[in-house]
Amino acid sequence: MSTRLWVTGLGLVTPLGIGVEATWERLVRGDRAIRPIQLFDVAGQRVGLAGEVDGVEVPSPGWSRTSAMAATAAEEAMRGARLDVARARVGLVVGGTTGGMFETEQVLARLHAEPECREVLVGMLSHPLTSTGDRLDERLGPFARVRTLSSACSSGANALVVAAGWLLAGEVDAVVAGGSDGLCRLTLSGFNALGALDVEPCRPFDRRRRGTSLGEGAGFVVLERAESARARGVVPIAELAGWALGAEAHHITNPAPDGRVVASLIERAVARAGLSPRDVDYVNAHGTGTPLNEPMEAAALALALGGELARIPVSSSKAQLGHSLGAAGAIEAAITALVVSRRTLVPTAGLDEPDPALGLTLVPQVGAVVPRVRAALSNAFGFGGMDTVLVLADPARETEPQRGPTASSLVVTGAAIFAACGLLGTDECGALVDGHHDLEAPVDPDAHLDLLRARRLDRAARLGAVAVGRALADAGAVSGATGLVLGSAFGNVDGSAAFMHRIFDKGARSASPAEFPNLVPSSLVGHVSIYLGLQGPAFATADLATSGESAFVQALQLVATGEAARVVAGAAEPRSDIVERILAALFAHATSQRGTARNDVAAAIVIETEAEARKRGGRVVARVRQALEWRGEGSLIAELAAPREGRAEVVLARANGGTGPLLAGTPWGACPRLVCSEAVGESDGLGAVAIAVAVGRIASGRTEQALVLGLARGRGYAIVLGRE
Amino acid sequence: MSSAQLRGELKRLIVTELNLKGRDPASIEDDAPLFGAGLGLDSLDALQLAMSIEEQLHVRIPEGDEARAIFQSVSTIADYVARIQAG
Repeated sequence: MSTRLWVTGLGLVTPLGIGVEATWERLVRGDRAIRPIQLFDVAGQRVGLAGEVDGVEVPSPGWSRTSAMAATAAEEAMRGARLDVARARVGLVVGGTTGGMFETEQVLARLHAEPECREVLVGMLSHPLTSTGDRLDERLGPFARVRTLSSACSSGANALVVAAGWLLAGEVDAVVAGGSDGLCRLTLSGFNALGALDVEPCRPFDRRRRGTSLGEGAGFVVLERAESARARGVVPIAELAGWALGAEAHHITNPAPDGRVVASLIERAVARAGLSPRDVDYVNAHGTGTPLNEPMEAAALALALGGELARIPVSSSKAQLGHSLGAAGAIEAAITALVVSRRTLVPTAGLDEPDPALGLTLVPQVGAVVPRVRAALSNAFGFGGMDTVLVLADPARETEPQRGPTASSLVVTGAAIFAACGLLGTDECGALVDGHHDLEAPVDPDAHLDLLRARRLDRAARLGAVAVGRALADAGAVSGATGLVLGSAFGNVDGSAAFMHRIFDKGARSASPAEFPNLVPSSLVGHVSIYLGLQGPAFATADLATSGESAFVQALQLVATGEAARVVAGAAEPRSDIVERILAALFAHATSQRGTARNDVAAAIVIETEAEARKRGGRVVARVRQALEWRGEGSLIAELAAPREGRAEVVLARANGGTGPLLAGTPWGACPRLVCSEAVGESDGLGAVAIAVAVGRIASGRTEQALVLGLARGRGYAIVLGRE
Repeated sequence: MSSAQLRGELKRLIVTELNLKGRDPASIEDDAPLFGAGLGLDSLDALQLAMSIEEQLHVRIPEGDEARAIFQSVSTIADYVARIQAG
């Protein structure tokens, strides 16, 4: 199977215009869209400028601006690629950070005035990041599978990485992948609190740069394997030739100044594209315009590209669009694909005084047609030091990508659960469902942490750090290049509410700079990676009550496709008053079904290639036999392999009305069923607990094999683990 | 507020606002450097501290290089706050 991946469709919604052509024409011309915000009141804000998208039509409740922009961009990309979801297995990957925060702020403002008001809570239907994928699935799908992820400002770029993994594994025929983020008061207040915004439209690479400018928008691409695009008679726009992602494990807001992590990612992305720095003809930089970003990025480019850098033009689109956070990586990847395809460089507009200290060849003011762009880099760096580098190339190139073999044998070497049951290591996880537990027992992460080093970690990150740390210790694994994928269904809703209430009470200047980074949905991953020194691929996934399962299958993919030899998967979900209230209001009729109260829950599972575990002498406690994920009614369950000889158990996160009928049609229908919610309480991270329990039961000899079946509304996961 | 009281108040703010668990405010020396090698604080802490001082002591800390000079130690912050409060 060819490993060439083609970009066959593009869609853009940006402050410069709705649609690829509207944006491109103004981009090349050097137009800038950064101006005073109209969307909401900016009184009291230090800086009230941003790139705002005009004319976003939000269809109905349940839709956010973020989702509306995503639908427009994804639809354009699918139309361009002539993609028909009825004729192919099509996946959807959505990256983002704010989700429905703009709409949530209106609910919070109302609750601030009327704390007991319940009917407004329906306005938070669009809050979870997952809601964008759900709305797109309804409008443009059905999609075979959907992933929602966040790695702060590299989310959109990582959506393309996940899509590439699905395509290389042959699990889908095409993927619609991108990012979307809408402007909101919380983001503006937070960036202002950090002093990270320029009082003028941002000036990347300029000597006078003083900060970034915010933006909003959506960017989506259609990615597919070259041969399936050829078979459909679709021509490529560009090739997604290479990519690499990793974490700096340095600081929650500041980049590591030496640029070494980013440099190694650039080197790896270019090498895996089958290219060398000699082939790179353009860099679309992260280029935020902050004093700290550009020196780091310039240092990284110099380290990775060496003497070639002097020849390679570099520009940042943020001077024109602003920084659209979770969308930026996808918007800029789409722009970079156009640069390759149209042999036209896009500029850094408003660059009057290039900073000579950066040592870069820049493209000031307006774009330029060039003879050729063989390959180009698109950089995206996120809070918490989650960095991604993409390589877009001319699809007519003669070199082949260096993919390396996909690993077929994945093993688990450690697991941990941290909840009302206490902190359980690998084998103890197997006993969780055997005994009785006090669901009200306090969960105290601080007893397990170095409090001074953990001082910036919020509760989710603390719970996560304890579980991940224990799982890694059990696995006897060194940190280093280990990756981290944690599920988080709602992000930090309580923290976001508290942050906004302070602003409602005391004005925008009271926004807490230390609190703000903890409100990004990926912050727990960033914090845990920093606390434990994990520098592999890192991001958060969200999938409502199956967020833990989504993190696990995502981590499997990262290991299988060679993004990292070892990745810790899991979930960390503190109990949340607001989530409790929303669910009670929205599902008043169903509360009796939900049964147990939501609790503090974290769990972690260490996944490695068998070769890596053997090489370092790690103990293999379970093997991954099969992992399925689907959207819709779960017809994919027919592909579930039958249990082998010996005892077999089914581990369920919670008693769910759908599991019985679905299981009945499988060879696992008669196996004993264990239910985790009875032992630790309800949580959206229960899927990770169920997987850790399955691992523990196999590790401790309680069973030979286990099926973990996780279901939530319109989505499901089936994971089979075994001893051999 | 006396100078000693002000210093004590600033130390309390540093410990609570920056979540320095287990650290006794009284153990922070008046003239010890707060950033880098000293107490080990960084730019994000400086921002949080500036916001808290503005909110609780009603003194706005300027941004940039000026802030760096003010945030050298508890003493330098106290001197600045006292000067502004004295009007």
